[in-house]
Amino acid sequence: MKASSLYERTVTFGGIYVFFMVNRSQMLYFVLVTPSKLVYPYMIWALIAVGILSQLNMILIAKWFSSDISTKGYQGFVQLFGKRTVRVLAFVGLFFIFAKIYVSTLGTVEVINSIIFPSMNPLWLILFLFGICLYAASRGMTNAIRFVVIAFFGSAWMILCFIPFFFPSMASLHDLYPLIPADWSTVSWKNLLFIWQAFSGPEYLVFIGPWINQKQKMLKYLTFANTTSVFEYLIMFVVSLLFFSSQYLNKSRFPVTDLIRYLQTPVLERIDIILICMQMFYYVWAISLYFLWFYGAIRIVSGRLNEQSNRIGFITCWIMILISTIILDKWFDETEQNPLMNLQIWLRAFTYLFIPTFLLIACKRKGLI
Amino acid sequence: MFLVIMSSMLWMIGCSPFVDNNQIEEISPVILWSITEGAEGKLRISTLVPPIYSEPKKILTQEVDLLKEGGKDFNLSYHREVKSGQLRMVFIEQELAKKGITSLMNTLFTDPDISQRLYIIIVNGSFDDFIKNQIKTQDVPGYLLYRLLKHYEYKKQGDMTIVNLHQFMKRYYSPYSDPVAPIFKVDKENFIYEGTAFFKNDKLQTNINKRNEQIFQLIDHNHHLKVLTIPELSITMGNVTSKTKMKLNLDYSTLSLNVELKGRIEEYRGKGDIDNLDQLAVIHQQIKSLFEKQTTELLKKMQNSEVDPLEIGTLTLGPFSKPMSEDEWSTLWANVKFNVTYELHIQPLTNVRK
Repeated sequence: MKASSLYERTVTFGGIYVFFMVNRSQMLYFVLVTPSKLVYPYMIWALIAVGILSQLNMILIAKWFSSDISTKGYQGFVQLFGKRTVRVLAFVGLFFIFAKIYVSTLGTVEVINSIIFPSMNPLWLILFLFGICLYAASRGMTNAIRFVVIAFFGSAWMILCFIPFFFPSMASLHDLYPLIPADWSTVSWKNLLFIWQAFSGPEYLVFIGPWINQKQKMLKYLTFANTTSVFEYLIMFVVSLLFFSSQYLNKSRFPVTDLIRYLQTPVLERIDIILICMQMFYYVWAISLYFLWFYGAIRIVSGRLNEQSNRIGFITCWIMILISTIILDKWFDETEQNPLMNLQIWLRAFTYLFIPTFLLIACKRKGLI
Repeated sequence: MFLVIMSSMLWMIGCSPFVDNNQIEEISPVILWSITEGAEGKLRISTLVPPIYSEPKKILTQEVDLLKEGGKDFNLSYHREVKSGQLRMVFIEQELAKKGITSLMNTLFTDPDISQRLYIIIVNGSFDDFIKNQIKTQDVPGYLLYRLLKHYEYKKQGDMTIVNLHQFMKRYYSPYSDPVAPIFKVDKENFIYEGTAFFKNDKLQTNINKRNEQIFQLIDHNHHLKVLTIPELSITMGNVTSKTKMKLNLDYSTLSLNVELKGRIEEYRGKGDIDNLDQLAVIHQQIKSLFEKQTTELLKKMQNSEVDPLEIGTLTLGPFSKPMSEDEWSTLWANVKFNVTYELHIQPLTNVRK
């Protein structure tokens, strides 16, 4: 482990990596809970509509990747906003990144805790997960991006597990009716917001511009990734509807894992444990990237970007995040609903909408596109 | 580095984060629970331990207020920890089922250790006595019962209604259908399939006898019946497959039910000559009208008991129409008229002596 090489760029990555990254970052955690929030069959259309909206965002991100400025990394941002503003933005960004880490971790830990290790103190899980992510992140940015291949192939096959549910003996087409909402009040903007934020994640990838091969046309890969995500969400949702029917669906907290638990194999009893463990791959991938971004942002804020990145600084950041996560977790332990979880829905929705647009507008104003 | 690893290992051993102990020699996974009604609203819950070790079997019984309390109390009276992770079957006594079993189902469903493939079986009689008698002669009575249920669950085999926790709950939550469960008659010696029990919400409403059971199997879920006996006409049909088409008319006042039966005559003990085509046609007609009559009776019985186990209510749903409420459907269901027709495709007779 050479900490000095954390942000070293030895290779650039092609479109296929972008595809993996966009797709996996959209799948993080929320895929497990989305069906029980959508509930009604006609939300299929909402899912598709939001997917199309998300596609517009993909176009913006592709534009950003194709601009010269994105490959310059920090210098590019300085060119856009000026040094002082970048520092301020990086400072604000710290909170967003922390919130993202916090909520993804807590969500994941909750799933593991309630399904695999109910008797285990969740703090241990947070510690273990963070430890693994620290290791993954300490291999540097290049390796963290490379890791997405493992994360993708480790978890993308899971969609195959759901195929048997399309042919169950007791499901029927009636479970997908009505396809048009009879009562429009049930389609609330909150549900739409929830879907929108579930698709968020790729917006942070604007910071890995320097590692992206600029010669490739990215829009193709981004579109493909977004479409794949929409399909994955759709499959999970339709299958959950067929399996539970909509009256029953919102009773389940983690419908997707409940579905998997129902599967039977001659060898393994608890196949859901494997599924959740495989999901850890892309959790680790995503969080290790966030750690790196967090540390990067800290360096920008403290104005030490020109010095070598060092191990002590990185581990200090990690400990900071760990301690704040544990403190916040303890803090909100007493309250029923974790307010940060709800806030996160807003934050994610906001960043997904805001970051690509904001960057593009800034570029336009400087006349760089 | 070595020191770090060593110290962290010691520290790990000192306060292991894993609290559950699942060492196989220290636990006893149970595969069945039987729940009956105890005195003063209590539950009597029994289980068979150990399920597969070659040790003398015994039955643990506890009278408790809560289901999980039973699970806990088993541990106090047995040298191994009783684990519910392998729970496969829950036998619920008929009397208890008549009072409603939502709370039991919810408890089973909440436990992440318990699979949703858990079989739900209603028993009429004392299941504990049966098992007590069985463990004298059988090594693995619980497992044998599991194999029995598993066997009949497979595909669309229509000899028994087999229901698991998930299927029960899905129908329970649906406003347009009602749960079913198999009902077995047990005494000291026997464990006999009696038919299907119909539930209204979570309460056992009624159950059907052998004759109706056959019809129910035919029209529910397009089953395959190896043997379909018609004692009234001294005929046995074999390898019967059925295809049911149900249709509600526009104002939901009449249900048209069309059943297509395919099979062959495998036994005839009547006086006629079934090799004669004319007489065979008469017999066809007789079978048809008999089935039509019996099916209508069965549907009327369901209607009178206010249950809808055939999920007829789901026919009212359409992709572009507003779904009706549960009450609306039950009012409608009480007044639905039936129009039952059967189509018979019997394979030509072979090897019949004139």
